[in-house]
Amino acid sequence: MNTLFALVIGIVVIYLGYQFYARRVDTQIIKADPKKATPAKMYMDGVDFSPTDRNVLYGYQFKSIAAAGPIVGAITAANLWGWLPALIWLLAGVTLIGWVQDYGAMMMAVRKDGDSLTAIAHKLISPRTRTILLLFIFVYILMILGAFGNLLAGALNGNPSVPLGIVMLAVAGMLAGQMLYKWKMDLIVTTIVVVGLTLLAILIGPAIQSSVADLNKAVNGLGLTIYFVDVDGLVKPFTTSYMFWLLFVVAFSYLGATLPIWRYAQPVNYIGFWVMALTIVGGLLGAALAVFLKPSVANFVVPAFKVFDAGTGGALQPLWPMLFVTIACGAISGWHALVSSVGTGRQLEYETDALPVGAGSMFSETLLALLALMAISVAGKGAGAGAFAAGVGQFLNVFGLDPTYGTALGFAAFVIIVITVTQLALRFMRVVFAEAFGEMWPAAKNIHIGTIVSAILMIIIVLSGTFTYLWQIFGAANQLMASLALMLVCLWLVEQKKNPSFAFWPMVFMYVTTIAANLILSYNLWVTVVLKQSSKPELWFAVVGAVAMILISVFLIAAALYIGWDAWGAYKRMKSGKAATAPAE
Amino acid sequence: MFTQMQPDIAFIRNRISRALAAVRGVLYGAGAHEIVLYAVRLRSDMESLFILITLGDLIGVPILPPYYSLRLLPFLVPNIASWKRRVLRERDILETDGLDLLAG
Repeated sequence: MNTLFALVIGIVVIYLGYQFYARRVDTQIIKADPKKATPAKMYMDGVDFSPTDRNVLYGYQFKSIAAAGPIVGAITAANLWGWLPALIWLLAGVTLIGWVQDYGAMMMAVRKDGDSLTAIAHKLISPRTRTILLLFIFVYILMILGAFGNLLAGALNGNPSVPLGIVMLAVAGMLAGQMLYKWKMDLIVTTIVVVGLTLLAILIGPAIQSSVADLNKAVNGLGLTIYFVDVDGLVKPFTTSYMFWLLFVVAFSYLGATLPIWRYAQPVNYIGFWVMALTIVGGLLGAALAVFLKPSVANFVVPAFKVFDAGTGGALQPLWPMLFVTIACGAISGWHALVSSVGTGRQLEYETDALPVGAGSMFSETLLALLALMAISVAGKGAGAGAFAAGVGQFLNVFGLDPTYGTALGFAAFVIIVITVTQLALRFMRVVFAEAFGEMWPAAKNIHIGTIVSAILMIIIVLSGTFTYLWQIFGAANQLMASLALMLVCLWLVEQKKNPSFAFWPMVFMYVTTIAANLILSYNLWVTVVLKQSSKPELWFAVVGAVAMILISVFLIAAALYIGWDAWGAYKRMKSGKAATAPAE
Repeated sequence: MFTQMQPDIAFIRNRISRALAAVRGVLYGAGAHEIVLYAVRLRSDMESLFILITLGDLIGVPILPPYYSLRLLPFLVPNIASWKRRVLRERDILETDGLDLLAG
């Protein structure tokens, strides 16, 4: 297999899925009508409800859904099971399930007056479903913070060429906020200055890596170490320098969570977009042209299929169901349903725009996952950021860019994508914390207290967990949310007396798969950490973390069953002809 | 011959300009739309505050003496409908600023 062939297969499947399946559902089942007034027109307030051009919305939706998820998931899955299962799930997932959820949630919101997903759950199923969904989202955010914090600290600690670019990203972000909002400077000028500065720092990074490595050595001299149990069952240390870089990530995210959004979080995100866009476009072009310009780069060196059960050290990692939660975004992601309903759905000018915007952007996101999969498949070995960066470095080398700089750009792009999400997750967590505890404990409304508590939770999750399990619990929460979104879409279709099959079977598959994945995750943590390691005093933190993870998994299962039961009640209510809306709590 | 070619060139030009406009739209949407949305939200918050101060009597919060409110009324009338929709709409936590930036 080579990169061009993988890319061609991907593009052909995406084209066929969009043209012959998505379009058919849009015209024959949903019957999108350009003459129907959308919420953007009916409730136009010029702010949240505002008709927007579909090309603009496509870009906005793509940017809102495409980030670290599709990259990390594809890399982790290829490492565990080989590139072929990952490729098949990416393409089959997006064609049969992924777009259905994004598009379905968007159309449902459009036809339900622009309501959010939780508000629709409140109306269609029951009031307590909304509360459970919000708890679900809280756990989901916590898992994002844990998994991404772990990933970032590891990437910054292990690659001394990266930190300079990230420090510059923070500085350039502040500068961009100042230039745009205070000095009222032109967006193009601001973009050239801040993106240029960040790229320059990324490319200078390799030149100063020995200084950063010396800093890591000096920090490690302090001798603080916390042990964790890795996915292979071996006990490994979190070094002091790892914890130092974790604190760096927390400090970076703290700024994003507490400063006004225009001052830091948004400009950092904006710079991140350009770095990511350059990497994606350059990487995809390099992958496509490698066969002609540098054939040695184009061939996959990772085995197509490794093993059905990739578990080691007593843990289970069977292809089903674990692959389907390891690759979340890129194939299907519950988060997209939230953005589709609250953000983009309220800006659709015509109902017919939902297909290119909702389904189109989901299909496009798969290309990002495909890039990550190709990158690790040609890089051969390594995990997470390292593999992605090495692969991107090789793709950019096709155009003559030195692999050192190409790899540095790949690394920095990866870290930037992940860190921009992390800072926003911490911000959102702070808001959720204030919302949940603000009435009971007024101090919780203080932005610094809320952020510090959230950051402490993040640090605990990172230091007590194993990346693969954190990632898989995050994936399971995400996929379970996707199945719940699909469940809502099914109920809405039943309410509208339309055929729900196209959403029902994906919902059943994701629902069963993610519950099974959560059970296996709990079993793995119980067997490899709690049973084996609880007698070792130096591993008490890992054991407590594993118990917390098991409790989270059990909560996710219980919440999903609860919502499923309520949804069944709502379905029977609709079928019996009683009022479609949910009864009072 | 030349006159026969004219419509084709116009057609191609039209297609190219439409494609370029689409690319511009996508880039704007991905890069700058969220910035514009946020700026618009900031402005709408200020407007809401201004209307609350000037027409607070409408919802039982008399801040400004009625004389000034009545003098300003003709200028504020066009904004009252969208203001009411905006401030009375039920919101949930998913509408937190920045959520749309939090990609999956």
